[in-house]
Amino acid sequence: MTPATPWRPRRPHWRLLVDVLCKRRVVLARMYGWSVVAAVPAFLSGRLVAAAVDHGFLTGHPEAGFGWLGLMALSALVGAAGTRQTFLRLAELVEPFRDELVDLVVSGVLRRCSIRGDVADTAGVARLTRQVDMVRESFANILMVTQAFLVTTTSALLGLLTLVPFAVALVLPPLLISLGLFLASLRAMATCQRTAIVADEGIAEAVTTLAGGLRDVLACGGEEQVQAAVGRTIATQEGAATRLARLTTLRTTALGIGAWVPLVLMLAGSPWLVAHGATTGAVLGAVTYVSMGVRPALQILIRGVGDSGMWLLVTLRRIVEAADLPVAAGDVVEPRLESAGFTPTHRPRPDGSALELHSVTFAYTPQADPVIRDLNLFLPYDDHLAVVGPSGVGKSTLAAVMAGLLRAQAGRVLLGGVELGEWESQQLVRHRVLIPQQAYVFTGTVGENLAYLRHDATPAEIDEAIDAVGARELIERLGGCGAHVAPAALSAAERQLITLTRAYLSPARLVILDEATCHLDPAADSRAERAFARRPGTLVVVAHRISSAMRAKRVLVLDGSRALLGTHDELLTWSELYRDLVGHWQPIEYAAASPSPSPRHGDISG
Amino acid sequence: MQPPLNTVSEDRSPAHPHQRYDTPPRPPAGAGSGLPPNRLILRTVQHVGGWTCLLSGASLIFAGAQTVFPAVLGRAVDAALTGHDWLPWLVGCGLLVGLLILSDALSDLAGGTSTARATAWIRRSALDHVLALGTRSGRRFETGDLVARMVGNAGDAGRAGTLLVRAVAALVPAVGGIVALALIDPWLCLTFLVGAPVLLVLVRSNVRDASELAGRYLRVQGNVATRLVDALTGARTIAAARTTARERERVLAPLSELHAAGMGMWRVQIRMAAQQALLVPLLQIAVLAVAGIEFGQGVISAGQVLAATQYVGLAAGVSSVVNSVARLARARAAAGRTAEVLAEPPAEYGTERLPEGRGRLEFRAVTVRDTDVPVLCDVNLVVPAGALAAVVGRSGSGKSLLAGLIGRLVDPDEGQVLLDGVPLPELARHELRRAVGYGFERPALIGDTLADVIAFGPERPEQPVLAAAAQAACADDFIRRMPRGYRTKLVEAPMSGGEMQRIGLARAFAHAGRVLVLDDVAASLDTVTEHHIRQVLTGALADRTRLIIAHRASTAANADFVIWLVGGRVRRVAPHHELWSEPAYREVFAQADPSDGPWAGGTE
Repeated sequence: MTPATPWRPRRPHWRLLVDVLCKRRVVLARMYGWSVVAAVPAFLSGRLVAAAVDHGFLTGHPEAGFGWLGLMALSALVGAAGTRQTFLRLAELVEPFRDELVDLVVSGVLRRCSIRGDVADTAGVARLTRQVDMVRESFANILMVTQAFLVTTTSALLGLLTLVPFAVALVLPPLLISLGLFLASLRAMATCQRTAIVADEGIAEAVTTLAGGLRDVLACGGEEQVQAAVGRTIATQEGAATRLARLTTLRTTALGIGAWVPLVLMLAGSPWLVAHGATTGAVLGAVTYVSMGVRPALQILIRGVGDSGMWLLVTLRRIVEAADLPVAAGDVVEPRLESAGFTPTHRPRPDGSALELHSVTFAYTPQADPVIRDLNLFLPYDDHLAVVGPSGVGKSTLAAVMAGLLRAQAGRVLLGGVELGEWESQQLVRHRVLIPQQAYVFTGTVGENLAYLRHDATPAEIDEAIDAVGARELIERLGGCGAHVAPAALSAAERQLITLTRAYLSPARLVILDEATCHLDPAADSRAERAFARRPGTLVVVAHRISSAMRAKRVLVLDGSRALLGTHDELLTWSELYRDLVGHWQPIEYAAASPSPSPRHGDISG
Repeated sequence: MQPPLNTVSEDRSPAHPHQRYDTPPRPPAGAGSGLPPNRLILRTVQHVGGWTCLLSGASLIFAGAQTVFPAVLGRAVDAALTGHDWLPWLVGCGLLVGLLILSDALSDLAGGTSTARATAWIRRSALDHVLALGTRSGRRFETGDLVARMVGNAGDAGRAGTLLVRAVAALVPAVGGIVALALIDPWLCLTFLVGAPVLLVLVRSNVRDASELAGRYLRVQGNVATRLVDALTGARTIAAARTTARERERVLAPLSELHAAGMGMWRVQIRMAAQQALLVPLLQIAVLAVAGIEFGQGVISAGQVLAATQYVGLAAGVSSVVNSVARLARARAAAGRTAEVLAEPPAEYGTERLPEGRGRLEFRAVTVRDTDVPVLCDVNLVVPAGALAAVVGRSGSGKSLLAGLIGRLVDPDEGQVLLDGVPLPELARHELRRAVGYGFERPALIGDTLADVIAFGPERPEQPVLAAAAQAACADDFIRRMPRGYRTKLVEAPMSGGEMQRIGLARAFAHAGRVLVLDDVAASLDTVTEHHIRQVLTGALADRTRLIIAHRASTAANADFVIWLVGGRVRRVAPHHELWSEPAYREVFAQADPSDGPWAGGTE
């Protein structure tokens, strides 16, 4: 069913609510239908009381009175059945909404992490699923409360109209004044409540930081600073909650006017009503309509909407924001062809797996110093390159640029003669593989984990990969490919072995290992890396150990401002930095100033 | 008649947000030692005294007026029907309604305000206390637990006073309703008393049922969250493999189970709601039937019939009293958990200042125990002023403890640590912090921007000092490559473990006093960076005492002397080259450094 609403609110979280109601308007209508049944007692109660008194107890026919009361009990039964059905429809409305929200959150978070390649706030992400549930609860509450108010009040007023028509004129004005006051206070309360909720989250965040860093707060003597910062969030919350309490007074007054004043007015009017033919039973019935129909419905509406409504809106907004966060500019290669849903008629045909970088420059933002500056590099098919340099110099960034995860601001990166941005997404995945330092193993079978990048792998191929990389012992211990693994039960090294096997198995001919063996012991590291070196295709290793550089055909040294390419032996003579990196323990005077001029600096090509 | 809608979320209303962020309550960390929760609640109530008085007064007046109202209404109806004394009863009714509205509004105002004040007061007390406790609170409470106690539990505890007043006030109309029924006619009361227990029993049995289902629901929900967080650890892999769609399916796999559990919860709720929609009206009808007979016989008036049905409504509120008592119990339990934090004795500081000096450290017969087992035993040691000392030992040998003693991150159970001749507990806090700086292996970075993080401490150094410190820690380069340089927000700065370590080092350098303690900082640094930092330590910072926990032989070799710890005791204090002849000493490094090359050591 497509949403067919002409009115679409501008704010996404509002739109989401409107959409979900439109999409399930049939269920919504059925819910309202059943709630009419649920309101049968509200409609009949006053009349039945009146009849029991007037035609039973007052006229000396208690059995007739019992009869009317029996009818009342029956109507209560019908009402209970109606309530049951109303709730069932409500569940049918709310549960799918929750499913959609979970999907929204999961898809949004995954999309964001797949675009940026990192998500900082995992705790916040974990909290999202719980926030979804708060939305579910408050949404259900609001739907129920408004529905009940509308239907119950209408039924009671209709019942009153049939019993003592004039009494409606006494009940309606205070009721309307009350609703008007309530609606008028809603906006101010909403703002206030939002501040309180946001401040509450601020406190949670501030305290989490504090609790996690107590040792550092203490060691740095930063107690006062932290006290002031957390104290501010506490004061903000206190201020908002106090203001909210003041505003609540207005709401309570509104409730009082709507709940109590009609009774007084009716009392004031009752002599006149009696004089105009209202019976004792009718007066009792009229009071029953107000005190058991209108008043509780109003109470629940005003207290319910006030408390749940804001939570719904604030939390939903938080979720929508988190699920659909705009991505920082510059660092994104979006799978735009797929998402736009079209296939270009002409797509350049890649040829081979050679990787070329032409004057590539990359910075995280335009203002920041570039991490990679004007880099030229040609890697022919079957090359084996090690990238070395001090930590933080940008080796991983370079790996991400080579893999097409980050898009360079200037210059071109070509794989098989075609720019990375022009590759069809899935085809690119089949042609290059990047294994990062953080090995990703998910809960599932070993086989699923291994075949992650190649679903059609035969058992023989999987076995070959396991043996090549040196994961045999681990896989056997886990219980073979059919066994179940949980990432938490594996050590960092074991996870890396699994991801290495996975990469080995992939059909890609360009393999980029970004410190993917850093947790393995030297022997295992060497075995895995040699397996990749023997594998047909191009290998790029972001080196964690000097042995990686010694195994490679060529080495690229990054030192922050320039890059230098050569063999291990060449670089030992050319590059002071490289000598330092290799430097066997003995302290070498490390002058940050001018390394010796190198023969091939600035123009690195195979 | 009104279906009891509030059961949808009466108890699970989102008005208590942190309840759901909390870890489930666990048995107290050290049962029996805590400040009793009642005392905390009492102190809080005293703190917000005026508001509590107003709340009590207003709530009781409201409850009283609510209880009297049906009787007055009944009399007024009778008067209206008979035409006798109608006006006084009407005026009485009007005044009562005015009182109801006023007292209700005042009680909401006082309740909200006193809760806000009480919560803030408890949170502030907890904050001050946790800061005063120092790392001791970290040893007793896990991070998540501490957050729950300070945020969620403190919030619930702040509500305790208001809940208590409300629970007492709620008793008035409930009990009053029953009494009023008896006063109108004993038979009415009897009818109610026979019917009411049935209601209570039914409501209670369902509550138990619901909590079981809710537990299942939460488990499945946690499963989805775990899968999602799992996937986040593989963000780069997923990005490279473009498997977002597949990951979505994997994470959402338990969704159908969640749906089923959710529907199960609804069914229990529905049963409960339908029962309530039935039971209160049936009770009212039963009372009405009895009242009808009495009315027909002229025992009671029409107004009293009306009052009787209203009183049944009030008396049925007994079930909500059960609810509010349960909520009060929860608030009290929350107060207990917060009180446990407040009951821990804080660290005491002295008032002494340091004499001139360059940081001579002396350990005199220092012993530290972890639940009675000594983890550092009888350490006697002097680190001369200006020395560069390395601490060497296998993991668990007490290296970090020794380092922690110097800045009172840990206090000894026996013995004394002196800095330039002054026992540490006698020093004023700021004096100690200015004198001793720490660089941790895994620093917790605190502050808004990277500049704030490096400046974190009792006094904020000037920007050039911060930049110089960052340069010395090899952090300046990568900070400048950040999106906004030094003004990059911490949360937006993508940093590796090594980079965070260097920021932490910069923080230590920026505040460096006469003693610098570096805890394992070389763990994820490459040789070049480590070498540079070593140069800073032996160059620009050579005028102060430096204590380095060494994992690499080269670091130990570079130090003036090595403190070699074995099993919590000092085995020997000597230069590295002298110790190197001992196989056991060499083995420490073999264990720590299984690699084949210089930039090994692990980046974890």
